[in-house]
Amino acid sequence: MWTWFYKLASPPYVYGTAAALAPWFLGLAAIAIGYGLVDGLVFAPPDYQQGDAFRIIYVHVPSAWLSLFAYVGMAVAAAIALIWRIKMGHAVAAASAPVGASFTLLALVTGSLWGRPMWGTFWAWDPRLTSELILLFLYVGVMSLRSAFEDPARGDRAAALLALVGLVNVPIIHFSVVWWNSLHQGATVARFGKPTMAPSMLWPLLSMALGFMLFYGAVLCMRLQGEILNRERQARWVAEAIKS
Amino acid sequence: MSAGFWSMGGYARYVWPCFAFAGMILGWNLWSARRYRVAAQLRARRALEAADADRAAATVVAIPRTAGERA
Repeated sequence: MWTWFYKLASPPYVYGTAAALAPWFLGLAAIAIGYGLVDGLVFAPPDYQQGDAFRIIYVHVPSAWLSLFAYVGMAVAAAIALIWRIKMGHAVAAASAPVGASFTLLALVTGSLWGRPMWGTFWAWDPRLTSELILLFLYVGVMSLRSAFEDPARGDRAAALLALVGLVNVPIIHFSVVWWNSLHQGATVARFGKPTMAPSMLWPLLSMALGFMLFYGAVLCMRLQGEILNRERQARWVAEAIKS
Repeated sequence: MSAGFWSMGGYARYVWPCFAFAGMILGWNLWSARRYRVAAQLRARRALEAADADRAAATVVAIPRTAGERA
């Protein structure tokens, strides 16, 4: 019954699929980000309260969404690797971690730069900001733990467990603005019912978010190829794969 | 582009660094992913070459000496 599942997760199949998808993801990401940048920076009107400072949203929100998306992806891959003992799960988790960490850093830095003119401070120990900072520490922890063991298999298992435990932080980040008093504004796009943003501001945001997701897909595919080669160096199919 | 666009309504020193940092993060991701993949390909190629060399050496050792060489 699970034969198709295991075939789908075989290293040569994943390597070939990643190699085929990466350029497509990258090309589509360039189009989406290009459109989002022009529409967001040039054509979207200034916000009636925040003026042009609101344009930071076009990098801050997509990077914050991506930081959560990449973490959930990493944890799901880790769970698959632990439950079904599919080693490609560890490879996907390992490839996802540095990308997710870099976008978490981007969300924190852009949020900080946005906070200065709006809140009067670069940083506050606010629930949303603090939980996002914890997410960055979780990413760093997962990467460090993986490389801390001499036996790569043990490192993979330990990192996968930490990734799964850290998953509890994801709903905390999302609902922190609802559960606690927060300087950070509530959800404006990802909410039940209609988004509260004007379409002229919303479309570039959605385009940037899509572009960031596609970019993540492209970089993940490229890293995954490297990760698979590092893990399968002795396998016979690798000789054919690197010749082509 | 007009001066108004670059000044971002007085928020230029917050808005542009955000976009510049985003560009740096995107660029770094692309560069490091490519570098990681190329390094892995290189390591795999070297491992294969080393394995081929080992196999070739083992073949040479296994060739029996000729009668002339024995003498």
